[in-house]
Amino acid sequence: MRMPVVRTIIGVLSLVSVIVTVILGLFITPPDVVQGNLARLLYVHPPVAWVAYLAYGVTSLASGLYLWKPTRSMRWDQIAASSAEVGVVFTALTLVTGSIWGRPAWGVWWTWDARLTTTAILLVLYLGYLALRRVQVSREKRAKRSAIAALIAFIDVPIVHESVNWWRTLHQGATVASIGTNSKIHGIMAWTLLLGFIAFTLVYVWMVILRYEVTVTEDAIEALNISAWTLERENEIGSLSDEIAGLLSDNKDRTGTSSSKVR
Amino acid sequence: MLDQGKISELLASRAVGSNSHSKSNSRLKRIRLWLPIIVLGASLAFLIYQGLGNSLVYFHTVDEALALRPSLGTTTFRLEGVVVAGSVHSNTFGGVDFYVSGTDGKRIFVQDSANPPELFQPNLPVVLVGYFSGLTFKSDQIMVKHSANYIAAYPNRVSSLHGKKL
Repeated sequence: MRMPVVRTIIGVLSLVSVIVTVILGLFITPPDVVQGNLARLLYVHPPVAWVAYLAYGVTSLASGLYLWKPTRSMRWDQIAASSAEVGVVFTALTLVTGSIWGRPAWGVWWTWDARLTTTAILLVLYLGYLALRRVQVSREKRAKRSAIAALIAFIDVPIVHESVNWWRTLHQGATVASIGTNSKIHGIMAWTLLLGFIAFTLVYVWMVILRYEVTVTEDAIEALNISAWTLERENEIGSLSDEIAGLLSDNKDRTGTSSSKVR
Repeated sequence: MLDQGKISELLASRAVGSNSHSKSNSRLKRIRLWLPIIVLGASLAFLIYQGLGNSLVYFHTVDEALALRPSLGTTTFRLEGVVVAGSVHSNTFGGVDFYVSGTDGKRIFVQDSANPPELFQPNLPVVLVGYFSGLTFKSDQIMVKHSANYIAAYPNRVSSLHGKKL
């Protein structure tokens, strides 16, 4: 199957699943006994955070595959870049939705607890990764540097996830990790949350495919620009050579005329 | 001779043009490289300093706060405890007075001067920002620490965990 067809199918599926999640989350699921309607952010905030982890996981995997010589290909670098970019969007969304939830639930928009701080650090790390990719060097050098940076930045992902277990935080403990072992979410709320995870994962896949296609096009344009620049310089050198050759022949003619006059 | 001079003049002018162009280009490149590095490095350093420095011991529990009370003095810190049912009353400072309890039943009297958040209620854990004034904890911020449980507010719709309906 061709890439645009796959992208379109995933796009349609993600749109449908997001719409169903919104309907279930806003109209069908009951409010929480403690948090009331605030709990409806449950269907957005954890799925968005999960997608950020997933995005950075894919970036690290692709970066590792680029660094490993037997699998080295620019395609891995392009996938890593595309996934990281989408990951940054989802990390920012995680912070924003968390903040919107935090204000009425906790009473503050932001607090320096371990979960929030490590998430903010994660965002800055991957913004740094994206900034590193903008540095004007050869594609190979950029890919290598970025792959190393991506692997270093990924160290923060398990720290973010485990921060609620390792340190005291205002942020609640991991709900999702405990679903299988000790159900803490009522039936339809859990199913809606699961659907939220699927919906946002599909949105992520769709966005990465789209961004990957754009990256490939950008790289092709960059290569074309380099060729055009080289051609332009070659033409310039050619015209300069012609100019020099003209001047030299003029000079030769003049010296020839003056020597014949002397004779 | 004059023509040779012309040639070298022409070449020199081209070289000067391209040199100044490449110099400004490399300066621009250097700015482009270092500016984001400096901005991001500074933000990262600020986050680590401000965030992790505070957050590793984000709060003291009631038991810890009582044990550390002499050394804490009037220092501002975060205190965590569960709001004791039946102890919440409005006070003259525009806030609420209540007790928070620790794990082994120890209590601290809290005098709050700020509006409690929407979710503030008895039997929920809270994190308070404030200081000791004698045996009273004077707080100017209440943060509600909700749990990871999500239970439907309509118990008749769902009878038990795992979503089994009546």
